[in-house]
Amino acid sequence: MQWLENGFFDHLDKFANSLGYEHYAIAIPLAMVKWKSPEDRDVFIMTITNQDVKGGGNRDFNPLAVN
Amino acid sequence: MAENRGGLRPTAPQYNPANVSATGGNGQSGQANPGYTGFPYGQNGQLEAQAASAPMAAAPKPVSPPSAGMPGMGGAVTPLDELQPDGRPISDGVDFGAGRGSEALPPRISSPMNQSENLDLIKRYLPDLLNATRIPNAPDSYKRFVNYLREQIL
Repeated sequence: MQWLENGFFDHLDKFANSLGYEHYAIAIPLAMVKWKSPEDRDVFIMTITNQDVKGGGNRDFNPLAVN
Repeated sequence: MAENRGGLRPTAPQYNPANVSATGGNGQSGQANPGYTGFPYGQNGQLEAQAASAPMAAAPKPVSPPSAGMPGMGGAVTPLDELQPDGRPISDGVDFGAGRGSEALPPRISSPMNQSENLDLIKRYLPDLLNATRIPNAPDSYKRFVNYLREQIL
Protein backbone atom coordinates (compact mmCIF):
# COMPACT_ATOMS: atom_id res chain seq x y z
CA MET A 1 0.00 0.00 0.00
CA GLN A 2 1.37 3.38 -0.99
CA TRP A 3 0.65 6.89 0.19
CA LEU A 4 -1.47 8.38 -2.55
CA GLU A 5 -0.96 12.04 -3.21
CA ASN A 6 -4.56 12.56 -4.33
CA GLY A 7 -6.17 10.27 -1.77
CA PHE A 8 -8.25 10.74 1.36
CA PHE A 9 -5.36 10.59 3.81
CA ASP A 10 -3.31 13.05 1.80
CA HIS A 11 -6.28 15.40 1.67
CA LEU A 12 -6.79 15.04 5.41
CA ASP A 13 -3.13 15.74 6.07
CA LYS A 14 -3.26 18.97 4.04
CA PHE A 15 -6.57 20.21 5.41
CA ALA A 16 -5.78 19.41 9.05
CA ASN A 17 -2.38 21.06 8.93
CA SER A 18 -3.58 24.06 6.92
CA LEU A 19 -6.81 24.75 8.83
CA GLY A 20 -5.43 23.77 12.22
CA TYR A 21 -5.78 20.51 14.14
CA GLU A 22 -8.64 21.93 16.20
CA HIS A 23 -10.71 22.18 13.02
CA TYR A 24 -10.55 18.45 12.31
CA ALA A 25 -14.35 18.28 12.22
CA ILE A 26 -14.20 20.44 9.10
CA ALA A 27 -11.04 18.85 7.70
CA ILE A 28 -12.47 15.32 7.61
CA PRO A 29 -15.48 16.02 5.37
CA LEU A 30 -13.33 18.25 3.15
CA ALA A 31 -10.88 15.35 2.78
CA MET A 32 -13.75 13.17 1.57
CA VAL A 33 -14.33 15.44 -1.40
CA LYS A 34 -13.18 13.90 -4.68
CA TRP A 35 -10.84 16.68 -5.67
CA LYS A 36 -10.04 16.90 -9.34
CA SER A 37 -6.34 17.14 -8.59
CA PRO A 38 -4.05 17.99 -5.67
CA GLU A 39 -3.53 21.37 -7.27
CA ASP A 40 -7.27 22.11 -7.24
CA ARG A 41 -7.42 21.13 -3.59
CA ASP A 42 -4.42 23.27 -2.74
CA VAL A 43 -5.84 26.28 -4.53
CA PHE A 44 -9.01 25.84 -2.47
CA ILE A 45 -7.01 25.68 0.74
CA MET A 46 -5.01 28.76 -0.15
CA THR A 47 -8.20 30.61 -1.02
CA ILE A 48 -9.87 30.00 2.33
CA THR A 49 -6.74 30.35 4.48
CA ASN A 50 -4.90 33.03 2.50
CA GLN A 51 -1.72 31.11 3.32
CA ASP A 52 0.43 28.45 1.73
CA VAL A 53 -0.64 24.84 2.07
CA LYS A 54 0.77 23.14 5.15
CA GLY A 55 1.41 19.45 5.69
CA GLY A 56 2.95 16.76 3.57
CA GLY A 57 6.53 17.73 3.14
CA ASN A 58 7.05 15.33 0.27
CA ARG A 59 6.54 18.07 -2.26
CA ASP A 60 6.35 21.80 -2.39
CA PHE A 61 3.30 23.38 -3.90
CA ASN A 62 4.00 26.35 -6.11
CA PRO A 63 0.79 28.32 -6.67
CA LEU A 64 2.41 30.33 -9.46
CA ALA A 65 2.62 27.14 -11.51
CA VAL A 66 -1.18 26.75 -11.48
CA ASN A 67 -3.01 28.43 -14.32
CA MET B 1 -64.57 100.29 -57.35
CA ALA B 2 -64.29 97.20 -55.20
CA GLU B 3 -61.84 97.06 -52.33
CA ASN B 4 -58.86 94.82 -52.86
CA ARG B 5 -58.57 93.24 -49.43
CA GLY B 6 -59.64 90.10 -47.58
CA GLY B 7 -59.48 86.54 -48.75
CA LEU B 8 -56.45 84.32 -49.06
CA ARG B 9 -53.24 86.24 -49.51
CA PRO B 10 -50.47 83.64 -50.02
CA THR B 11 -47.78 86.26 -49.53
CA ALA B 12 -49.06 87.22 -46.07
CA PRO B 13 -46.45 86.62 -43.30
CA GLN B 14 -48.54 83.99 -41.56
CA TYR B 15 -48.18 81.72 -44.56
CA ASN B 16 -44.40 82.01 -44.68
CA PRO B 17 -43.03 78.72 -43.25
CA ALA B 18 -39.79 80.43 -42.30
CA ASN B 19 -41.59 83.02 -40.24
CA VAL B 20 -41.72 81.17 -36.91
CA SER B 21 -41.60 82.47 -33.41
CA ALA B 22 -38.33 82.04 -31.55
CA THR B 23 -40.29 81.23 -28.41
CA GLY B 24 -42.30 78.53 -30.11
CA GLY B 25 -45.59 80.25 -29.57
CA ASN B 26 -45.08 80.64 -25.85
CA GLY B 27 -47.68 82.91 -24.37
CA GLN B 28 -50.29 82.11 -26.97
CA SER B 29 -53.61 80.57 -26.18
CA GLY B 30 -52.17 77.10 -26.04
CA GLN B 31 -54.62 75.94 -28.63
CA ALA B 32 -53.13 74.41 -31.69
CA ASN B 33 -53.84 76.28 -34.84
CA PRO B 34 -54.03 73.68 -37.53
CA GLY B 35 -54.63 76.32 -40.15
CA TYR B 36 -56.82 74.17 -42.28
CA THR B 37 -56.58 75.13 -45.89
CA GLY B 38 -57.32 73.42 -49.10
CA PHE B 39 -60.69 72.04 -48.11
CA PRO B 40 -63.79 72.96 -50.11
CA TYR B 41 -65.17 76.39 -49.59
CA GLY B 42 -66.71 76.79 -46.18
CA GLN B 43 -65.22 73.68 -44.62
CA ASN B 44 -61.96 75.23 -43.48
CA GLY B 45 -63.77 77.39 -40.99
CA GLN B 46 -65.88 74.50 -39.78
CA LEU B 47 -62.80 72.36 -39.17
CA GLU B 48 -61.09 75.14 -37.26
CA ALA B 49 -64.18 75.68 -35.16
CA GLN B 50 -64.34 71.99 -34.45
CA ALA B 51 -60.67 71.91 -33.42
CA ALA B 52 -61.15 74.94 -31.20
CA SER B 53 -64.06 73.30 -29.40
CA ALA B 54 -61.91 70.32 -28.34
CA PRO B 55 -59.43 71.53 -25.74
CA MET B 56 -55.97 70.06 -25.86
CA ALA B 57 -54.96 67.69 -23.15
CA ALA B 58 -52.94 69.24 -20.40
CA ALA B 59 -49.20 68.78 -20.61
CA PRO B 60 -47.97 65.94 -18.39
CA LYS B 61 -46.50 67.08 -15.10
CA PRO B 62 -43.12 65.80 -14.01
CA VAL B 63 -43.34 62.89 -11.60
CA SER B 64 -42.31 63.93 -8.14
CA PRO B 65 -39.97 61.62 -6.22
CA PRO B 66 -41.62 59.44 -3.58
CA SER B 67 -41.61 60.89 -0.16
CA ALA B 68 -40.02 59.15 2.79
CA GLY B 69 -43.43 58.42 4.22
CA MET B 70 -44.55 56.29 1.32
CA PRO B 71 -44.91 52.62 2.20
CA GLY B 72 -42.85 50.15 0.23
CA MET B 73 -39.90 52.45 -0.22
CA GLY B 74 -37.69 54.10 2.34
CA GLY B 75 -40.50 54.57 4.78
CA ALA B 76 -40.91 50.81 5.41
CA VAL B 77 -37.34 50.21 6.63
CA THR B 78 -37.22 49.17 10.26
CA PRO B 79 -34.35 50.73 12.18
CA LEU B 80 -32.00 48.21 13.75
CA ASP B 81 -32.54 49.68 17.19
CA GLU B 82 -36.32 49.62 16.98
CA LEU B 83 -37.88 47.45 19.64
CA GLN B 84 -39.87 44.46 18.49
CA PRO B 85 -43.16 43.41 20.15
CA ASP B 86 -41.21 41.13 22.49
CA GLY B 87 -39.21 44.09 23.77
CA ARG B 88 -35.95 43.16 22.05
CA PRO B 89 -34.29 45.15 19.29
CA ILE B 90 -34.17 43.65 15.82
CA SER B 91 -30.36 43.41 16.10
CA ASP B 92 -30.59 41.15 19.15
CA GLY B 93 -28.15 38.23 18.72
CA VAL B 94 -25.91 40.07 16.25
CA ASP B 95 -22.49 41.41 17.17
CA PHE B 96 -23.44 44.98 16.30
CA GLY B 97 -26.30 47.29 17.06
CA ALA B 98 -28.47 47.22 20.14
CA GLY B 99 -29.23 44.13 22.14
CA ARG B 100 -27.20 41.07 22.99
CA GLY B 101 -24.35 39.74 20.86
CA SER B 102 -23.87 36.36 19.25
CA GLU B 103 -23.32 34.82 22.69
CA ALA B 104 -27.09 34.85 23.03
CA LEU B 105 -27.51 32.40 20.16
CA PRO B 106 -28.20 28.76 20.92
CA PRO B 107 -25.03 26.60 20.84
CA ARG B 108 -26.34 24.65 17.87
CA ILE B 109 -26.32 27.83 15.75
CA SER B 110 -23.04 29.27 16.97
CA SER B 111 -21.20 25.95 16.49
CA PRO B 112 -22.02 23.56 13.63
CA MET B 113 -21.17 20.51 15.71
CA ASN B 114 -21.04 20.13 19.43
CA GLN B 115 -18.17 18.52 21.28
CA SER B 116 -19.73 15.08 21.69
CA GLU B 117 -20.42 14.85 17.98
CA ASN B 118 -16.80 15.76 17.27
CA LEU B 119 -15.56 13.02 19.58
CA ASP B 120 -17.87 10.52 17.93
CA LEU B 121 -16.36 11.53 14.60
CA ILE B 122 -12.85 10.85 15.89
CA LYS B 123 -13.80 7.49 17.38
CA ARG B 124 -15.39 6.42 14.15
CA TYR B 125 -12.41 7.24 11.93
CA LEU B 126 -9.44 6.83 14.27
CA PRO B 127 -8.75 3.09 13.61
CA ASP B 128 -8.46 3.69 9.88
CA LEU B 129 -6.51 6.90 10.43
CA LEU B 130 -4.05 5.01 12.65
CA ASN B 131 -3.58 2.29 10.06
CA ALA B 132 -2.74 4.95 7.50
CA THR B 133 0.20 6.11 9.62
CA ARG B 134 1.88 2.78 8.80
CA ILE B 135 1.73 3.40 5.08
CA PRO B 136 5.23 3.88 3.64
CA ASN B 137 5.99 7.52 2.88
CA ALA B 138 3.23 8.72 5.22
CA PRO B 139 4.30 12.27 6.05
CA ASP B 140 5.21 13.16 9.60
CA SER B 141 2.66 15.98 9.56
CA TYR B 142 -0.08 13.39 9.13
CA LYS B 143 1.27 11.27 11.98
CA ARG B 144 1.35 14.31 14.26
CA PHE B 145 -2.26 15.07 13.41
CA VAL B 146 -3.40 11.51 14.21
CA ASN B 147 -1.57 11.69 17.54
CA TYR B 148 -3.50 14.90 18.26
CA LEU B 149 -6.76 13.08 17.55
CA ARG B 150 -5.78 10.24 19.87
CA GLU B 151 -5.17 12.72 22.67
CA GLN B 152 -8.65 14.15 22.20
CA ILE B 153 -10.42 10.89 23.09
CA LEU B 154 -8.10 9.78 25.91
